[in-house]
Amino acid sequence: MAFTSDLDQITRAAAGDPAAVRGLVNRYSAGVLSLATRMLADRAEAEDVTQETFLRAWKALPGWEPRAKFSTWLHRVALNLCYDRLRKRKESLPGELPDQADTRLAPHDALDQVQRVSAIENAIAALPDRQGAALTLCALQGHSQAEAAEILEISIEALESLLARARRTLRAQLLEGRASA
Amino acid sequence: MTDDRLIELIEAWGADPDAFPEAERAGAKAVLATRLERFAAALAEARALDAAFARIPEILPSAALTEALIASAPRPKVALGGFRLPKFASWAPASGFAALAAGLFMGVMVAPAASAASDTDEAATVLEHALGFDPAAFTEELDE
Repeated sequence: MAFTSDLDQITRAAAGDPAAVRGLVNRYSAGVLSLATRMLADRAEAEDVTQETFLRAWKALPGWEPRAKFSTWLHRVALNLCYDRLRKRKESLPGELPDQADTRLAPHDALDQVQRVSAIENAIAALPDRQGAALTLCALQGHSQAEAAEILEISIEALESLLARARRTLRAQLLEGRASA
Repeated sequence: MTDDRLIELIEAWGADPDAFPEAERAGAKAVLATRLERFAAALAEARALDAAFARIPEILPSAALTEALIASAPRPKVALGGFRLPKFASWAPASGFAALAAGLFMGVMVAPAASAASDTDEAATVLEHALGFDPAAFTEELDE
C-alpha cells in the first residue's frame, strides 16, 4: 500500500492499519536495532531496547505532531533508552573497569576479514557513549548531519567534535595495534 | 578554506568531501583540486577508516523480532460494516440493571422472611418430638 506521506502512514498505523504498522516496522527497526546494538554491544539488550522504543512509538502515534521527523524521534528514544541502560550498568559495577576488547589489528596476512571487522566493532563499542553514538549515526547508518545532530540533541559543530575524537581514537587504537603486531 | 580547517574536516567527516558540511563542501573541493598532495596523508588515513566502516555488516532484525514489534502495535478498530443495533438496544443495559436491582430487592426483603418461616417450622418439629407429641396421631384423632 502506498502512503501519501510519513504523516499519512503514522496516522494509519495509529488506527491499527496492519500495512502501515508493518511498513513502519520494516522501515525503522533495523536502524533502531543497529544503533542499540552498537551502543550496548549486546544483541539481546538491543532487541529489548528496540521493542521498548516501538512500544513508546505506538503509544505516541495517536497524538503525533510532526515537529520532528518520525525517524529522528524514534532514534532519539532508542538512544536515550541505551544511555539509561549504560548508566545502570556503570552504577551496578562501581569502580569496576569494563572489559577491554582486543581492538588491535594484526598484519593483513594474519587476519581474516571476520577478525578485522570484529576488531573494528569492538573498538567502536569501546568508545565513550556519545562518540560511539555519533559515529554510528553518521559513519555507519548514513544519517544526515542535521538529523544526527538532532537525534543527539547537539549542534553540528558539537557533532563534528565528537566525530573527530571518535575517529582519532579509532585510528590510534587500530593502527597502533597494527604497528605493534 | 584554510589548510588547518580542511584537515579538521577530513578528520571528522572522512575522506569524501561530499560528507563535509554543505557550507564548506565547495571550498574544500577547490582546495583539494589544487593541492591534493598537501592532504594526501590525512586523506589516506581517513580513507582507511571509511573502508573499515564499510566492511561492518548491517545489523538486521530477526523475523521473530519483526513479528513481535508488529504484534505490539495498536489493534485495528473493529468496524460494524453498516450494521445498526435496533433502537431498544440503547435501553437494554438499563433494563438489565433494573432487573438486577429488583432481584436484589427481593433477595433482601423476602429471603429473610422465608428463612425465618422455615426456621420456625423446624423448631416446632424439634419441640414436638422432644415432648413426645406425635403430630400424625393427633391428626388421626381429629379425623375420628
